[in-house]
Amino acid sequence: MRAYNETWIENKNVVGQAERWHSRSLLTDEQLATVRKTYPVGFQTMNGFLEIGLFIFTIIATGGVFLLFVELLSIDDSSVFGLYCLIFGTGLGILNNVLIRRHKFYRNGVDNALVMATTALLVGGFNSQFLADSSLWLWCLVALPLLAAVVWYYGDTLVTFIALAVLYTFLFDLTLEASFGRTLLPFVGLAVSSGLFLATQRSRQRAYYDDAVSLTQWVALGMVLACGNYYVVRETNWLIVRSTLIRSGVLSPPEINLPWLFWLLTVGLPLVYLWQGFVRKNRMLIILGVLGVAGAVATIRYYVGILPLNVHLTLCGLVLISMAVGGIRYLRSPRYGFTDVPDEDSPDEFLVSSAVGTIAQTAAGTTGRDQPDDVKFGGGKFGGGGAGGGYS
Amino acid sequence: MSPDDLLNDLRQRSILNDEQRQRIAASERSRPFSLHWELRALLYAGILLLSSGLGLLVYDNFDHVGHGILLLIIAAACVVSFVFAWLNRPPWTTEQATSRSAFGAYALLLACLLFLTLEGYAQYQYNVFGTRYGLVTFVPAMLFLALAYRFDHKGVLSMALTALISWVGITVRPLNFYFKTNFFDQKVVFSAIGLALVIGAVALVLERQRIKSHFTLTHLTFAGNLLLVALLAGLFNFEGLLPWFMAGLAAGCWLADRYARQEQRNRAGSFLFLLMSAVYGYIGLTYLYFKYLHPSGNAVAGYVYFIVSGIVLIAYLLYQRRSVLHESI
Repeated sequence: MRAYNETWIENKNVVGQAERWHSRSLLTDEQLATVRKTYPVGFQTMNGFLEIGLFIFTIIATGGVFLLFVELLSIDDSSVFGLYCLIFGTGLGILNNVLIRRHKFYRNGVDNALVMATTALLVGGFNSQFLADSSLWLWCLVALPLLAAVVWYYGDTLVTFIALAVLYTFLFDLTLEASFGRTLLPFVGLAVSSGLFLATQRSRQRAYYDDAVSLTQWVALGMVLACGNYYVVRETNWLIVRSTLIRSGVLSPPEINLPWLFWLLTVGLPLVYLWQGFVRKNRMLIILGVLGVAGAVATIRYYVGILPLNVHLTLCGLVLISMAVGGIRYLRSPRYGFTDVPDEDSPDEFLVSSAVGTIAQTAAGTTGRDQPDDVKFGGGKFGGGGAGGGYS
Repeated sequence: MSPDDLLNDLRQRSILNDEQRQRIAASERSRPFSLHWELRALLYAGILLLSSGLGLLVYDNFDHVGHGILLLIIAAACVVSFVFAWLNRPPWTTEQATSRSAFGAYALLLACLLFLTLEGYAQYQYNVFGTRYGLVTFVPAMLFLALAYRFDHKGVLSMALTALISWVGITVRPLNFYFKTNFFDQKVVFSAIGLALVIGAVALVLERQRIKSHFTLTHLTFAGNLLLVALLAGLFNFEGLLPWFMAGLAAGCWLADRYARQEQRNRAGSFLFLLMSAVYGYIGLTYLYFKYLHPSGNAVAGYVYFIVSGIVLIAYLLYQRRSVLHESI
């Protein structure tokens, strides 16, 4: 049993898919109407801007209540404070459940804010209650199961992101405890990130976790690029040892172990991403591959560049423009399964079609569902449908 | 659920017949993968890099002999981009232009960015505008405004409005432009309010005349934010005029709220004005409460204020959702 109605979330996906087919004239109006009736979605329809506002004001009101009780009960002892956080957090979680049931919220700002507040209070309260002065990695280790439980229960993207950050912090901090930790650090990052990515690929995708899984994949693949990048590894290493080395007279980042390997990864990984991205038609890999190539070019310029920055920028700009122009001209007609024609994953097309739909609806005087509101600004999946991995 | 599973499901519920299911499945398989937005993003990044690289080139080579040639190259690039954009211009219409070339809009953007580089250089080197600093922003503002309407380009429109807003800040207080927050000066605040009202009024008139009415939202977003920020600045800084700014802020929020309810063309976008009304209004209200009403030393009253006001605004936003949706149906 999870926080939101799972059937509705699955139905939401079904209706979305049917709407895409409908916009490509593969389904008739009646069929779309039947799909909507057969797969009902009971959630509130809301607008992204309202959700932002609701999030802000929910946080303000919750903060007010929290501080009010601190003041009224004059809680100043830290152990009592931890307990208070735990009790208050639990209360908020229960309240959130009631609100989700009653108002049929689904990521509408209020519930997002309450999930955040509950998580923060529970994690903070637990740690201040039981682990007053312990090391960072132990703190993270205790927080992780709680965060994982919240992600399991709500599928919330923001908490997923925090959980990933805590996971990486835990592993990196623990690795640095070892004497050879500095050398091991990038490899731990690479191994864990690849492991995370493979795990999300293997697991059976449930609509409930679409956004959380997609976010995890973005983070994991991005971390693989970062942990393999020569500049990142060398500078991170410098950050860790700087204070001791400066005292012994070393003033610039020293060479790292296995430099050739990291140079290879800096250049090779983005190319592998691009290659795999084009083979599998995976938007996430293509975008990250392009960003990785940009990072590799910047890294190379940083260490072995001879051109001044202005010439470098001008040349990069010219290269990018000619690549884009060439690509656009080349893909005017579809080639090798790629095209320049925008599809329904494209954000602009989505807005245009929904605006047209709204006008048509008001003009025809039909009521339908709360159609005009279906465009979600904030909650959308970054990178679009290709990121979900289901439609390639 | 994968598209194939869904198709089977729809077939089983006899929403689809077999022929249609196969057609959709074939269409899913053969559909090409769109790189439209990735390529556009690449093009955009390239234009930004190129124009900032050229700007840096001019800046770094000021004292060198070769900078004349460099300037000539940039001017040539600017003219070429503009000519290209002009040759690929969309046909003039008061509606949203539908047929547009793939590169015309980007060439125009590049031309505008290069124009700014050239203009900055001309002012720095030859002091073209003398001490009339206002012209430095006013000229591109007017030029970009005209270009935005002719070429139906929202990006250039945003650049024009930004230039227009900084023009007000600069003209009123030429000496410390760019470096100081101008909002401590009454003249700046009133000019900003005036400009916001003018932009808003012009936008609404154009909307009524049906001239590029898809620009209205961009105009009003700029005007609304400028107006409400200026009113807040007035509220914070000029105690003597407090009642006026309070009334102004209330009116501004009411207008934004009103507009969001009435706007029909772009329902999703118009909710931005509800959010603006709520957030700016709340900042003003909170400021007034803590400055004038809050009993000093009483923390509880402050917390109660946050609880009550927060809940009231949540209720307001939830209520708005319902009433706006209700009106639109």
